[in-house]
Amino acid sequence: MDPAGTFATSFVRDQALIRTRWQWLALAAFLVALLIAPMFVGPRLVAIGIGIFITAVVVLGLQLNTGYSGQINLGQAAFMGVGAYTAGVLSTTFGVPFFLAIPLAGVSAALFGFIFGLSAARIKGFYLALTTIAAQFIFHFLILSLPTSWLGGSNGIIVAAPDFFGYRLSTDTHIYYLCLVVVALMTWGAYGIARSRQGRAFVAVRDDDVASGIMGINVTRTKALSFLVGAFYAGVGGALWAYYVRYVAVDQFTLIHSVWFIAMIIVGGMGSVTGALIGVVAIVLVQEGISTAGPIVAEAMPFLGGQISFAAMNIFLGGIIAAFLIFEPRGLMHRWIIMKRSYRVWPFPY
Amino acid sequence: MRDVTLRHEDGGTRSPASAQADRPDAGEALRADGITLTFGGVTALNEVSMSVKHDELVAVIGPNGAGKTSLLNCLSGFYKPQQGQIIFNGADITGKPVHEVAVMGLTRTFQGTHIFSGMTVIDNIMVGRHQHMRSSLFDAFFYPFRAREEEVQNRELVEEIIEFLEIETIRHQPVGSLGYGLRKRVDLGRALAQEPKLLLMDEPMAGMNTEEKEDLARFILDVREGKRIPVVLVEHDMGVVMDIADRVMVFDFGRKIAEGTPAQVQRDPAVLKAYLGGGAV
Ligand SMILES: Nc1ncnc2c1ncn2[C@@H]1O[C@H](COP(=O)(O)OP(=O)(O)OP(=O)(O)O)[C@@H](O)[C@H]1O
Ligand SMILES: [Mg+2]
Repeated sequence: MDPAGTFATSFVRDQALIRTRWQWLALAAFLVALLIAPMFVGPRLVAIGIGIFITAVVVLGLQLNTGYSGQINLGQAAFMGVGAYTAGVLSTTFGVPFFLAIPLAGVSAALFGFIFGLSAARIKGFYLALTTIAAQFIFHFLILSLPTSWLGGSNGIIVAAPDFFGYRLSTDTHIYYLCLVVVALMTWGAYGIARSRQGRAFVAVRDDDVASGIMGINVTRTKALSFLVGAFYAGVGGALWAYYVRYVAVDQFTLIHSVWFIAMIIVGGMGSVTGALIGVVAIVLVQEGISTAGPIVAEAMPFLGGQISFAAMNIFLGGIIAAFLIFEPRGLMHRWIIMKRSYRVWPFPY
Repeated sequence: MRDVTLRHEDGGTRSPASAQADRPDAGEALRADGITLTFGGVTALNEVSMSVKHDELVAVIGPNGAGKTSLLNCLSGFYKPQQGQIIFNGADITGKPVHEVAVMGLTRTFQGTHIFSGMTVIDNIMVGRHQHMRSSLFDAFFYPFRAREEEVQNRELVEEIIEFLEIETIRHQPVGSLGYGLRKRVDLGRALAQEPKLLLMDEPMAGMNTEEKEDLARFILDVREGKRIPVVLVEHDMGVVMDIADRVMVFDFGRKIAEGTPAQVQRDPAVLKAYLGGGAV
């Protein structure tokens, strides 16, 4: 709904994502803030920023796949892992520059995801969830059982710092900017997809696949495509991870990570690109809070044991999913829209 | 179109009428020949033949479980009949997947609601434009402006439909929040956005009040006359059928037991026995 006094004067205006000059200004200010942030904040916050950016890329993909298309995906971490390994091997072993390795990581993850997309043609809901969990196990099994000289087995692989025409992106600040550019591009793309013909087909298949068919939508193809896109995003996120941590190992991409990603879209709001971003920021910040507070609490109350962070994290994960599903099933984004609506139409609610 | 003579078809042996239907006819939008559909032991459709002309509004009536929905499901590709052939505008569509049949111009509305409840009215109807739009996933990601342009062009047609169905005031509302009558209108709008060459409607008025029924009947007539789209209408409400149909087909236990003008069908003893319980209409 538009603010009181603002009316769409054309279809273009009506469909626009950003409608008022103030919204443009706010967005520009936000982007500038992100750009200059590393100059003003400490290394800890830069690291948190990088974590948010990488997670955001992965979760945007999950949002398109699960939130928009309704295909439950508990294998997003595995898809991310495929991207991380691809980028790692391509850049370290074959010397492929990062700006090619990142999209290629996306493509290889997309191909892996596509296999599960094909199974979504036949199975739904709970069984599909089980199948995507299998993606996690296949990923682990493959990496661990391939010869160690290929993908490092349980040792993982070391990744060289990305190189930009002779300039090594070796500091966290460099990686911050790399991730910022990528996440901006991927967010832009996600909005584009969500509001396009294909994005509508995703939602149509989610809401009613019988009716989708008679609208001329190839339901099987659309489901497979949504996995393809979701896994592509995961792969790109995985590549960023590889360049950031410069070390890739299977236990960085487990089922519990996939569950965290799901939690983020539940908290942010299913079926909203902005919601995905909100969910990522909210959960990563709480995670950081818990891992900062953990050691302090453990020190003050030694009887709780050193595992307090880990335990608290899992309680938080379970609690937040349950709480949101019960009390705010449409996520923070929905709550925000309701609030916005009530102040926007003030003082004339027409 | 009131020249169709009443005839009874006894299944099994083929009547001369259906033999005559073997000749292709340029005036036909749709023809089905000898459709048989069974579910395990249940025969939902038994040797059903039918045709729809380009300017016709054909009603399909029959008691519960007569096979009306099954017929529409076969025609639109949701079920594959075990026997028989379906010709749509000269092309054999028997056993073709639903989305391919839809792209050829055959669409339908559903019994009950099959609506995209998470989308707004506009988006629901925009989904109907899917097959006429071209922008791919790739375009949406890399050339959002080009995709937008296509979006705006198609939006114009969608607005025309919204105006036609008189749902301007609810265009931005999520369909999940609308009442039954309005949902059915959106369902129709979505089908019209496809610019179909044939529209099948499965009991669109069931569960509506009189006023809603009158509105919808008016829209259906407008679709037939204004947009010149042939319509097959499955309907229980005899009053509506008598008012708006050119021709009526009566089904019982998977067979077509009678066919003719509303007036003819109304007097038919077999129909009175099967459908109207022998009483007056
Ligand atoms: N998917 C299915 N599986 C098994 N039996 C089915 C299926 N669909 C329909 N039938 C059976 O086929 C017969 C015809 O059903 P159909 O739904 O076509 O009737 P209908 O004329 O549309 O009835 P109504 O007026 O109640 O909508 C019924 O006996 C029904 O039980
Ligand atoms: Mg029915």
